[in-house]
Amino acid sequence: MSGRRSRQPSSSNTRITDEQIIELVSKLHQLLPEIRNSTRRSNKASANKVLEETCNYIRNLNKEVDDLSQRLSQLLSTIEVNSPEAAIIRSLI
Amino acid sequence: MKSRMQNSSLKQEFLKNWIKGLQLHANFNKNTTILERRKAIKLSADIAIASTRNSTTRWSRALIADASRDESNKTLIEKISGRDVPHKASFGLIRCSKKILKRSRVAREVRAKKAVSPSVVASLIAKKLVKSRTRVLKRLVPGGEDMDEISLIKETIDYIVSLRVQVDVMGRMAKAADRLIRSTSL
Repeated sequence: MSGRRSRQPSSSNTRITDEQIIELVSKLHQLLPEIRNSTRRSNKASANKVLEETCNYIRNLNKEVDDLSQRLSQLLSTIEVNSPEAAIIRSLI
Repeated sequence: MKSRMQNSSLKQEFLKNWIKGLQLHANFNKNTTILERRKAIKLSADIAIASTRNSTTRWSRALIADASRDESNKTLIEKISGRDVPHKASFGLIRCSKKILKRSRVAREVRAKKAVSPSVVASLIAKKLVKSRTRVLKRLVPGGEDMDEISLIKETIDYIVSLRVQVDVMGRMAKAADRLIRSTSL
C-alpha cells in the first residue's frame, strides 16, 4: 500500500508517500490537547479525529486571542504604552 | 517539535514585534473607543506573530497580504515587519466542478446496487468526513484554500505553534497589567 503513490515520476520533485502523511499527522496529533482515545484503530478514523480536533483547537486558540485582546484593551487603557508602567510590564514578561 | 530555546526566542520576537505595533497606537487617548483599541491590539498581535516567520510560511504571508489590503494598516505592517508588502490578488480557483464529479461518482456506485458491504460504506463515509473536515481546516488556516494535502498539514502545525505563542504572551501581558493595576491602586 505504501509505495502506490510514489510510482508516478512526473508531477512534483518530492514523492508524496503515505509514510510522510502519517508522520505529519502524528506530529499534528502531538500538538493537540489530549483527546479521548477512539477504540477503532483504522487510519481513516484517527485522521478524521485529528482533523476534527485540529479545527476545534484552532478555533479555540483564535477565540482566546480575541478574548485577550478584549481584556487588554480594557487594561491597557489605564496605562500609557510609553510610560514607565509599560516598561515595568515588559520587564515582567 | 521546537526546542524550548527556540520557543522562548519566538516569544521574545513576537513580544518585540507586538510592542512595536502597540507603540504606533501610543496615543490611546480618551477619544479612542474600547473597540478601536481592541482591534488595534489584535491586529498588532496578528501581524507580529506572522512577521516572526519572515515570509517562510504561506499562512503568515497570506495573513499579512490580507491585512495590507486595508490601506490604513500599511503603516503598522511596515513598522512591524520592516518591509513593504505588495498586495497579492488571490487566485480563487473554482474547484466546484471537481467536487461535483466526485460526488456523482460515489452516488453512482451506490445507485448501481452492487453489493456494497458495510465496511465499504463505512470507509466511504470516513473518506467523505475527512474531505469535508479538510475543507474546514483550509478555511481556518490563512491561505489554506490553495494548499495541497502535505502543505496544509505542515502549515497547520506551524500555525498552531504560532497561535500558542500568541496566546501565551498575550495572556502573560494581561496578567502582568492586571497585577500592576491592582498594586498601583492600593
